[in-house]
Amino acid sequence: MAHSQGWVKRYLKAFCKGFFVAVPVAVTFLDRVACVARVEGASMQPSLNPGGSQSSDVVLLNHWKVRNFEVQRGDIVSLVSPKNPEQKIIKRVIALEGDIVKTIGHKNRYVKVPRGHIWVEGDHHGHSFDSNSFGPVSLGLLHAHATHILWPPERWQKLESVLPPERLPVQSEEECLLGSL
Amino acid sequence: MLRGVLGKIFRLVGYTVQYGCIAHCAFEYVGGVVMCSGPSMEPTIQNSDIVFAENLSRHFYGIQRGDIVIAKSPSDPKSNICKRVIGLEGDKILSNSPSDFFKSHSYVPTGHVWLEGDNLQNSTDSRYYGPVPYGLIRGRIFFKIWPLSDFGFLRDSPNGHRFSDD
Repeated sequence: MAHSQGWVKRYLKAFCKGFFVAVPVAVTFLDRVACVARVEGASMQPSLNPGGSQSSDVVLLNHWKVRNFEVQRGDIVSLVSPKNPEQKIIKRVIALEGDIVKTIGHKNRYVKVPRGHIWVEGDHHGHSFDSNSFGPVSLGLLHAHATHILWPPERWQKLESVLPPERLPVQSEEECLLGSL
Repeated sequence: MLRGVLGKIFRLVGYTVQYGCIAHCAFEYVGGVVMCSGPSMEPTIQNSDIVFAENLSRHFYGIQRGDIVIAKSPSDPKSNICKRVIGLEGDKILSNSPSDFFKSHSYVPTGHVWLEGDNLQNSTDSRYYGPVPYGLIRGRIFFKIWPLSDFGFLRDSPNGHRFSDD
């Protein structure tokens, strides 16, 4: 009787000790280092979800790369939706602060991206709720950088940071600075 | 002897990682102590006051008008701002001074809040940079712990209510 009680107590102690180590470490890892997410919707076709609703891509989201809010034009990033904070959206970075963008369907034809903001667009123009609808987004809403497609296995690949040539900024910040020399 | 030293180093690293993770979870999901700087929330919060911030309201979307919140600055994601929520999405903004950002009447867009400092003369807030997305809010300040002469829950806005929720 005493022997089995001792066993239960030791087990509970080990469980609690493991629990209070494993849970914070796992939560911190998923918040700060990397996590995995399923992509819904057609706004990033053909790069993501080319099969439509038949199969959703699962991507690896890398938080560590954006811990200092450093992104490049062409990166695919996830961010908190400016219109609905409960939702995350995944789009491509088209322009950085200081760039002048030629918009598609925005109320202004040309927009200069303010300091601390980026311009994001889905690859599937016309089917995408992006900066052409809600304007430049603050870098503080940046959530993660999508680096790889993990599922389905036939779509394993690294996501490249390419900017479609027709979406290059009209004038980038570097050109603005060089022009003023 | 080398194995003993290595063992000690590993244990130290292990404890540091573990307590770092617990600290991250506590500040991210529960709350923490924050020191505020700047004059934009006077007289409610003075420069170098230490306050207690909680993050539960943000996660449960329970931020209300009149709350003092910490948010990431819209123009600099690495710095934080501390302002009062004057309007939620859908509220009409009543403004004394027209600015070139919006016309005389406008509404706070969905998913955004309107922030203003209590020290209206000396505060860069939504009157300057427009409505702030809700996703930038980090936490809600509700209690001041330093200086001790001002210990306690925070006062309501000294500027009265300048918003309408029609």
